[in-house]
Amino acid sequence: MRKPCLVGKDKQVVPEDVLSIELTMIESLDSQDVSCWIVDMSDWRKGWQKIAAIREHLSPKVYLRPVVYLHADNSMPAEISKAADGQLAHGLDNSKGLDELSSRFEATNQWIDHLPDPNAAVDANIAFKVLRLIASRNNVQEPVTTVRRKSGYVYPILEPLFSKRDEGALETLEFLEAQKLISGDFVSKAHFCSSCSSAFINFKEACPQCGSDDLNVDELVHHFRCAHMAVMSDFKRGSSMVCPKCDRELHHIGVDYDKPSIMYSCNHCSHGFQEPSIMTTCYNCGRSTEPENQHTRLIRAYSISAIGQNAASYGMEALFSKILDSELQLCSFDAFRDFYRVEAARIKRYKKSESSLVMIALRDIDKLYVRLGGRATEVFAELSTVFRTVLRLSDVITARNESIFFVIMTETSTTYAERAVERLHEGIIELLTNNLDFDPDMSSLIKPITVDMDLDQTLEAFLQS
Amino acid sequence: MIFENALDFFLRMDTAKMLAYFWPFFLLDMTRYLLLDVVVISIYSVKNWFQRDKIERARRQLYSEKPLVSLIIPGKNEGKHIPRLAESLARQTYKNIEIVIVDDGSDDDTEEICRKLEQEGKIDRFIRNEVRGGKASAANTAMRFSHGKYIVHIDADSHLAFDSVETILLPFYMDPNIGAVGGDVRVANTGDAFVTRLQGIEYMKAISTGRTVSSELGILRIIAGAHGAFRRDILNRLHGWDVGPGLDGDITLKIRKLGFRVVHEPHAVCYTNVPKTFRALAKQRFRWDRSMVRFRVRKHRDILLMNSNFSILNFLASAENIFFNLVLDFKWWIYIIQIVLFNPSVLEYIFLINLILYMLANYLEFLVACALLHSSMRRRDFFLVLYIPLVPIYTGIYLRIVRTYAYIMEFLHGASYMDKWNPWKVSRVVKREKL
Ligand SMILES: [Zn+2]
Ligand SMILES: [Zn+2]
Ligand SMILES: [Zn+2]
Repeated sequence: MRKPCLVGKDKQVVPEDVLSIELTMIESLDSQDVSCWIVDMSDWRKGWQKIAAIREHLSPKVYLRPVVYLHADNSMPAEISKAADGQLAHGLDNSKGLDELSSRFEATNQWIDHLPDPNAAVDANIAFKVLRLIASRNNVQEPVTTVRRKSGYVYPILEPLFSKRDEGALETLEFLEAQKLISGDFVSKAHFCSSCSSAFINFKEACPQCGSDDLNVDELVHHFRCAHMAVMSDFKRGSSMVCPKCDRELHHIGVDYDKPSIMYSCNHCSHGFQEPSIMTTCYNCGRSTEPENQHTRLIRAYSISAIGQNAASYGMEALFSKILDSELQLCSFDAFRDFYRVEAARIKRYKKSESSLVMIALRDIDKLYVRLGGRATEVFAELSTVFRTVLRLSDVITARNESIFFVIMTETSTTYAERAVERLHEGIIELLTNNLDFDPDMSSLIKPITVDMDLDQTLEAFLQS
Repeated sequence: MIFENALDFFLRMDTAKMLAYFWPFFLLDMTRYLLLDVVVISIYSVKNWFQRDKIERARRQLYSEKPLVSLIIPGKNEGKHIPRLAESLARQTYKNIEIVIVDDGSDDDTEEICRKLEQEGKIDRFIRNEVRGGKASAANTAMRFSHGKYIVHIDADSHLAFDSVETILLPFYMDPNIGAVGGDVRVANTGDAFVTRLQGIEYMKAISTGRTVSSELGILRIIAGAHGAFRRDILNRLHGWDVGPGLDGDITLKIRKLGFRVVHEPHAVCYTNVPKTFRALAKQRFRWDRSMVRFRVRKHRDILLMNSNFSILNFLASAENIFFNLVLDFKWWIYIIQIVLFNPSVLEYIFLINLILYMLANYLEFLVACALLHSSMRRRDFFLVLYIPLVPIYTGIYLRIVRTYAYIMEFLHGASYMDKWNPWKVSRVVKREKL
């Protein structure tokens, strides 16, 4: 039987049917024993730090576990009060309430248990963690508006994952949706600053001639009997309206006069017009531009898809490498190792030719989709094209994960291999740095293939460096 | 046979008898329209030739002062015409212009078309009145939201010759006492139909020659809405246009009453599209003719009264118009009655001879118009000469019937108060206050 576990008990008295543990030791608990984490929210800011620490934890048995608030009150912001899976209304001395919680979370806990090796797994990839959180809850993640975040919207359950950075949740969800791992339903449409991604944008009417937003709006008045047409202020005489053309008093709208339209006038350049242009100014970075230059995004409510459910359980595969695979036909690591052995033996026997082993690490690649969201796949496709143009058909390629690639370049000296890697580097810089202003951390190592070299050791050494 | 008999009948008459049988032609039309036109246009041409330097000085002065000129185009459901008009305005030789379009409550795609042109900078200002207020209120809106020293009123369904704005401004620089200048209106679609060709001849005669003559005599009574230039200071004093119909003639008269000269400039050309069927033409003329009665006889009665503001030219401008249009319209019916009652036996001869007389007169008038306008005429305009034999039937019978009907309706019912020109709410106020 699982029990709730209070995280960081401080001076609280913990009843028998509740576990307790310090935050630093949280990983030591067995996945089978805990039903949920209880976090004391009497000081919600402190409590929030604990939740963030739980969700940022790399072990699925920790970060996926439901979180329950103790002593929650109304002072905390809405998106924080919704970030928990439940609340303990009547304190810890309520065994019935505790049992209820445990049974309510059973489905989620069983989902965590069915993961391959839930006690030892390490989930470093934030998109994968988001996917698993959504899959484990198996409900719809609704966006909630907030003024505490630049993005204006948060998904409460996912929120603690992103507590240390001010962006990434919307982009990560877009990325997962583009991969068809989750599916979204329309909730709203929102504008975002195209330079800083802030959702806080002031929309205002401006003079189409000089751009000033110091405008007057005046109604046009038409006096029927004399056809005089002027702005309302021209007719105002004290409290009544008198026509400046025929000197008659205006009495009833629709009978002796009407107001056929409105006019704007600019206090800055005195331009008169009817269609003001719309300007937007970002509250965060102060940049002003037309609305069409700002970024619009669909705000959606997300739920897990069938593919997503599968990927959440058994791993997403390396996403970039998946795309690369369709372009280049990556081989499995086992096949790669076999081929290496054959190639080394061939070189030894004929002593005529040389081949090279190339190891490439593109370390920040997962940051790309946090930044690019749904557009990441396009960029990955282009990145694959860069690989394809540099590598040859006779090259054998495998991917260790999203950012580590090994290549056997047959009949290629290390000098030529170096040149190829250089070209690859240039292509990647061209694509990511020049086009997207993204600086990838790329490193590589080239070794001549010999029978004396142990492949696994060499690769491991490269990974450690 | 009949021609020989008619000729014989005509030649055997003495002067007294000739006058008795053909007094409308010899006493009225020949004097007024023919002799006057020949004399005045000849003088005008000679004068212009001597004024060549003065005209060039005016042009230099215009270009050194370079005043802003507002081209205002009020209208309802005219969006489809605007792109072409804007294009003809963009090609004007005079460049310091602002184009202000007022949409008088259109219910078609005028707004989309014009907003787009406004955004593209092809027109300077587009003002839409959501509720229709009538043509005068639309023109007044344009006036209120334009800034030019001169205001040129243009109809949306017309377009201007490339030097038209420049040319219409020149008179202001030749005489500081000129308050408004009328542009010459020619038929754009002469080639479209038989009826548009006839109107082409009519416009040359009535507008180009007719208004130049009136202008020279100092009795010009109308500046066409299709193309007319006004001094802003004068329009401001008048607070713009009054409720139509007939607002073009109305504003012209008011400017005259302020003591300013009003002239016609035959070389400031504006092309307009005219009705393509006799039916549509009848409707248009019915509206125009009614408004004549209304604003001249009813509204500007004071011009005809001998009071302290009396001006002989203003009196003549109105009296001539009322006399020739209204009284002479009825003279025809008197003439017909006279012939039918007293000379039924020679009816066909008299008809035929009248036809020939008026045809000859029309040839001569066409010649006068060509002499005046040749420098700004299109090639195809000269070919209109082929249609002249039919003009007497067009003006003498068709237009006369329409006109008579319009006058009778206006006198009997004051029908133009309930016209389609103005929205109902405006017509109601105007009728109630007997404006
Ligand atoms: Zn008034
Ligand atoms: Zn302005
Ligand atoms: Zn910003």
